[in-house]
Amino acid sequence: MRRILSVLFSCRGNLVKATWLQSEQIVELQSPAGKFWQTMGFSANGKQNLLPEEALYLMECGNLQVFYQNLPLSIQDGYEKFLSSSTVSLQQYQVFAHLKRLGYVVHRFDPSLEPSSYARQLNLPQSRDRAVKQLKRKRSASPTATSSHTEVQETPTADRMEEDECGRDGEEDKKPPESPLTASAGTAAASSDEGGGRTWWMTDDLGERSDHKPASGRSRWHFSSIPFPDLGSRGSSSSCLVPPDSSLLPGSVAVGVCDIAPWRRRINLREVKMSSKERRREEDKRRRRWDINRDREVRRCRNWAEYRELLARREGRPKGRPAHLWNREVTPLHDPRQPIPTKELLDKLSVIKSTHLLEEASSIKGSDEWRICFNVYQPDTVADFKKSNPGKPYSRMCVCSFDGPVPDLRAIKLLTYQSGDVPVVLAVVDHGDISFYTFKDFHLPTDVFS
Amino acid sequence: MRACSQVQVMDDDFSSRRESPPPPHVVGVSLCDSAPLLWRVEDLRSVRAQGLVGALLGSLPRTPRQNGRLGRPLLLLPEEERLLRERQTAAALPARRQDGGGAELVVQVEQQQEEEQQRSYEEQSILALEDRKSALLRAMTSSHSGGPGSGTGTEASDEALRGRLEDLDRSFTFPQSALAVQLSTARAGLSYCPEARAFLQADWPIREQHDRSWDARYQVFRDLRGRGFYLTSAGKFGGDFLVYPGDPLRFHAHFIAICSSLDESVCVLDVLSAARLGSNVKKTVLLCSPGTDGRILYTSLQWSGMV
Repeated sequence: MRRILSVLFSCRGNLVKATWLQSEQIVELQSPAGKFWQTMGFSANGKQNLLPEEALYLMECGNLQVFYQNLPLSIQDGYEKFLSSSTVSLQQYQVFAHLKRLGYVVHRFDPSLEPSSYARQLNLPQSRDRAVKQLKRKRSASPTATSSHTEVQETPTADRMEEDECGRDGEEDKKPPESPLTASAGTAAASSDEGGGRTWWMTDDLGERSDHKPASGRSRWHFSSIPFPDLGSRGSSSSCLVPPDSSLLPGSVAVGVCDIAPWRRRINLREVKMSSKERRREEDKRRRRWDINRDREVRRCRNWAEYRELLARREGRPKGRPAHLWNREVTPLHDPRQPIPTKELLDKLSVIKSTHLLEEASSIKGSDEWRICFNVYQPDTVADFKKSNPGKPYSRMCVCSFDGPVPDLRAIKLLTYQSGDVPVVLAVVDHGDISFYTFKDFHLPTDVFS
Repeated sequence: MRACSQVQVMDDDFSSRRESPPPPHVVGVSLCDSAPLLWRVEDLRSVRAQGLVGALLGSLPRTPRQNGRLGRPLLLLPEEERLLRERQTAAALPARRQDGGGAELVVQVEQQQEEEQQRSYEEQSILALEDRKSALLRAMTSSHSGGPGSGTGTEASDEALRGRLEDLDRSFTFPQSALAVQLSTARAGLSYCPEARAFLQADWPIREQHDRSWDARYQVFRDLRGRGFYLTSAGKFGGDFLVYPGDPLRFHAHFIAICSSLDESVCVLDVLSAARLGSNVKKTVLLCSPGTDGRILYTSLQWSGMV
């Protein structure tokens, strides 16, 4: 009891004086602010101001003396004047003071200052002007998710193009091979007119010279017209490489004939000495090897997809599907002959689809009952805390009481959506005791080793 | 209440020899955001003496930045407030007047405040000067006692000491910034007389309409309080009240009281979860219901093994 009787004294030198502006419901400082100004208060009309809950907390700590009509307010007056439904309720102030006493930095939550989901998607830098002046901010140059995706898509095609010109962008010293199109300039060059360039793509009708867009439809590469210099084969006849077509070279670069004799000298052209056993093994391998290109149907396949279809057809033909299973209205979920990863099969089996907390959360309208009151920032950031740019809060508080209803899924979705990626903590007030609860998204693990 | 009236009846006979006992202290309850708060120290003392605990909400003035021990105001449970009102030992304090009670009153109060400040300043400056003198004395005597000198040396040092004390007297000023200012917790003033009490009683603001569950809670509260138990709120334990055999500062709670009306059906899962919770925190769960004859029926749940 004796401790409760203790009275609040403060040195006048440390006491900051302020006045309560009833009409605006804020506290205006009359003497310069102390250390608390680093994390509390705001500037307006050229003066330093405090929000009512901040002022009341500072009064309780003995750092602030608030006057109203030239008389100092007692703490009781502060409670009765500063806490109301238009400012901050008593329960919300309890949570506020509890957190402040622990050292957290607590600010009011303003939904209009939070970036919308669209702005977050674009990864726009956030500007926040709690104070009047605006600070310059570096624009972050990170690309968005969509643009990086398209980049990834483009690179394979670029890679493919580069693979064809194997000698072109490879080592610097190697001269580019003879341009394939000089040999078949007639067909290839004429078959496409994209940007005056040439292409290794053939159209379906060989020999047609109209401008046909090669990308669409089924085009094949003219393999015979893409020669690769084979410097390693011993039967190579030419001793030099013909210079490439000047239309393929950039600008005024001129390339002459490439002498490959020094290259061939560097390559080991000696025959491999094999023992008789090894020689016999090699011959067997060669004999037994079934060249897959001898199969006419395989030759008819123009790309990998068609080849796989051919394989699937060949595999599926001997084993038929049991009629009593497949010829009815209800068919099996999956054909066992089709390969499928276990995870996908489990997904097919799942009757209940998993969802996440933010599904359809954007369509929920706000309600008065459940709203976020405060942003809470960690105490160890106080040293370099800037009011104009506080950064991402540690969590956001929603205040309720045990007398009220438990938040239903709708309320939780609404709060999580409003908060963005900052966790929402429910502070439940019970006559002086405060309990903190939070809801977290959780995924049931799928037992799949894939 | 009954005890008081009995004494008064006796007093009629012995009025010549004995004075009537003082009327029970009436606590002033002030409403903040429709919550009943007690601010004055004598109110808190009286309420605790009646066996009502309440909950402290504010920062403790001596150590404001901790949550272990809190200070005034005291928040009353709605049942506690109703009990006080029924015993007629509580009255609503009027809120601070907006206009300050007229211009003359404001000027008067301001003058009072200034006079008080001036008086406090003078007192504090005297005390500060004495403080400095005693500190100086201590410093001089300690340095002197360490020295080698004896008889002749003391006179010279006494002279020096006196000289320094006189200097201090002349030149000492107590700066205004060092003045300790009291920030009052409770609103000063308003000592009211019994007539005002009746006036205040009528002014009690009507808040939310009470429903039957609230009534049941109040009946249970009153009964348990009447038996001498101390009760606080038990939201954290999933119940309505925590029941202590004595003052909460000296005992742990023995029971968690859950109130419901007799005709309300209770789901078995709720009973199970309450029993589980109670056994985990080593408290007995009490299911309380007001009976038809005004008595309260209590059922206790205790976890026991299979027999």
